[in-house]
Amino acid sequence: MTVLQLQELSKTFNGISALSNIDFTINEGEIVGLVGPNGAGKTTLFNLISGRLRPSTGKILFEGKDITGFKPHAVCKLGISRTFQSSRPFSRMSTLHNVLTGQVFGKGFSLHIRPEDEQMAHELLDVVGIAHKAETLAADLTLSEQRRLDLARALATRPKLLLLDEVAAGFSPVLVKQAIKLINRVRERGVTLLIVDHFLNLSLKVADRLLALDHGEKIAEGPPNIIMRNREVLRAYLGMRYPDEEDD
Amino acid sequence: MWTTALVSGISLGSFYILIALGFALIFGVTRNFNLAHGELVVFAGYVSYWLWKVWAWPFVLTFPAAVLATLLICLGLQRLFARLCEPLELNSIVLSFGMAILIQNTMLFWFSGDYRLIRIPTLSQGLHLPGLYLSYGQVTLLFLSLSMIAILYILMYRTYLGKALRATIQDKEAAAQAGINVAGMGTLAFCLGAILIGLAGPLYGCTHYLYPSTGHQITLLAVTITIFAGVGRLGGIILAGWILGLAESFAVILCGASWREMVAAVLLLTLLAFKPRGILGKGEQ
Amino acid sequence: MSFFASKNTKLNTRGLKFDSVGLVTGLVLLIILPALVKSNNYILQVFTHALLLANLALAWNILGVSGSISLGHAAFFGAGAYCSAVLSLEYGLSSWLTIPLAGLLAAGLGLIMNLICLRLRGAYFALATLAFVEIPRVITDNWDELTHGSLGLVSLPGLPSLSLGTWSVDFSASIMASYYFVFAFSLVLLGLVRFLFNSNLGLAFQAIREEEIAAEAVGISANRYRLLSLLLSAFFTGVSGACYAHLVRYIEPGLVYGLHFSAIPMIFAICGGRFTILGPAMAALIIYPLDQFVFHPLLPAGHEFLYGVVLILTVLFLPAGFWGSLRKIF
Repeated sequence: MTVLQLQELSKTFNGISALSNIDFTINEGEIVGLVGPNGAGKTTLFNLISGRLRPSTGKILFEGKDITGFKPHAVCKLGISRTFQSSRPFSRMSTLHNVLTGQVFGKGFSLHIRPEDEQMAHELLDVVGIAHKAETLAADLTLSEQRRLDLARALATRPKLLLLDEVAAGFSPVLVKQAIKLINRVRERGVTLLIVDHFLNLSLKVADRLLALDHGEKIAEGPPNIIMRNREVLRAYLGMRYPDEEDD
Repeated sequence: MWTTALVSGISLGSFYILIALGFALIFGVTRNFNLAHGELVVFAGYVSYWLWKVWAWPFVLTFPAAVLATLLICLGLQRLFARLCEPLELNSIVLSFGMAILIQNTMLFWFSGDYRLIRIPTLSQGLHLPGLYLSYGQVTLLFLSLSMIAILYILMYRTYLGKALRATIQDKEAAAQAGINVAGMGTLAFCLGAILIGLAGPLYGCTHYLYPSTGHQITLLAVTITIFAGVGRLGGIILAGWILGLAESFAVILCGASWREMVAAVLLLTLLAFKPRGILGKGEQ
Repeated sequence: MSFFASKNTKLNTRGLKFDSVGLVTGLVLLIILPALVKSNNYILQVFTHALLLANLALAWNILGVSGSISLGHAAFFGAGAYCSAVLSLEYGLSSWLTIPLAGLLAAGLGLIMNLICLRLRGAYFALATLAFVEIPRVITDNWDELTHGSLGLVSLPGLPSLSLGTWSVDFSASIMASYYFVFAFSLVLLGLVRFLFNSNLGLAFQAIREEEIAAEAVGISANRYRLLSLLLSAFFTGVSGACYAHLVRYIEPGLVYGLHFSAIPMIFAICGGRFTILGPAMAALIIYPLDQFVFHPLLPAGHEFLYGVVLILTVLFLPAGFWGSLRKIF
């Protein structure tokens, strides 16, 4: 079943095109990696899907419903959540309460925190591995713990589709392994994932499919092993030239 | 009648420009909103009044004295502003709000709430030209304001120091990286602002009644003009000042003097609602 | 320390204990105050005004806790004062009716402010509020048929009277009665603020205050919650304005729309602790009597410099406010 459909999506800022004509589909249960060099438009695409930006042209369909131009909180209530490139916890709340915001507001609203909400929040903290820090002030967590808190908070909103922005940036191989385990645990909960991964250390190992962007355009899509041998993708990342191409 | 309104609008507007320039400069360079600005103008006016009335100084000599007094205070204020942390704009608003209350009450203590005026008889006399009456007071306002604007223009656009100032206004970090002493620029901005305030105060005192709580209105004018112009645009401030002066003059003729105080407020709200970056500023991304 | 720091850590339990101790002490003292001062009317009047300002500070803080700083809350105060004054004076309605109506009018004004300031944040919102207060002020000042303009309204009806069966009390009859009326309102407001801040609404307010973008991403509509906090804040400020009108029985535009009622509640909220429940009230009940009993006699003109100094010191040295900081320590 199609979870997300992007139709001819583009975004221009003051005449400069950040994304042009993106056509792409994400299916239920997939892990899709969004790759591309700096400035390719990955974060712009995230911002369009999550509602932070309005597309200049094109449509976004979520489970068949047109959500183009919907605000972020509405998008969240429908089932799309995201994390951010630099972690944004609510610093003066406890870790537990951070997750509870997602739990309480992600779908609907309740006036008070119910026992089942707290239970769910504890469980999610356990999933991401910071259950022992439930009562700590979010500002006092380490950077890696804050990242995991962001993930737990996003999961608390019960998303169908989760957008992860550079979740493994700067990670050592050990941490990448942990991240992969975490992502698979998330997938087991029935969440479809779209991961932005500039350094490719994560998506190559965990993604079913890759979508490669360069200068705002889709240059390739397909399984990782094929994409990483794709001429256009290599050229975008490494600037390689081939003998049978003309020099610029 | 309309020509009188036009003339008074332009001269009032030029005066507003003078008042706003200091505020805009400080904000542009240091990202600090100084809500005590109006109170400082009134303070400078009071210094001039005190010297003129109690010590019988010639009015012209009170100008440098007022400038000096304002300079001292502004340098002190700058020390306090320097201790602020992010977000600078909001924190400076709250801090300077407190400063405004402090300065206002000091003036209340020093001079009581009675209305004061520096009466210079020559200023209320004027020229009878065909169709309008131009008081010497208005001419002085116009002349002094435009001279200060011209001097500031030359400083900002024709000197190296001005270039450094403009660079700091545009992008503090880049300016720092280019070797500009950003903190020094901040101090310079406060000093220039203090000079402008120190000159505006006595002018204000001889054309308007001085009382402690009038600073609030002056601050609102300065804020409106600065927001209208957008950050770091001298031309915008000139345009904004004249538009505001004319708008107030015409409002007085059309609706009566009691509606004058709402003009700046409505203008500011309209600006903030639709174009927070200023009329000539870039649009929102 | 915010309410949602944690329910269980030692840290916040202490904070809660401190709150409770402070609350109980304060309540007891305030209840027995008239007896303590042997019904000295002057002292009672000062504390009545202090309680009124405490209410204003609590109301201001409802907006403050969602991250917005308003420099022009007197717009709501004055609108409420004039609404209740005009309705009770010209139409003879009971204050029990006009006071809540005044709150509704103020809330309506808040709705208008929200429409204008929807996209404004931080400093620009604050500047907008500075300008906004001029509009109801100038309109009131010029609408002579309705408000008598700058002459003000005199001989306003006093606070209402309450009859339950055979027992009745006229709150306008004595200073002590007025004191208990305002005090009762303080209790109601305090209870409401506590309920609000401890509920999920308070959670939303804190979230949009700290990280608006992240809050939106977890389903919190920043605009909607900001509007809610503004409407509630405006309502209770308007109600306080109405109470003021019936308390002093004379109002004029320069006074009720003036800086005094914009600045002082804000200063109490910030100096007491913008993100606490009790802080604003505590600041009002300590600083205002200090101003009236100590500094006013010393400096009949200019004693309000105290508020400027307190604000400057708080911004520079004690951003959590004195009550907020004390909570952290104890």
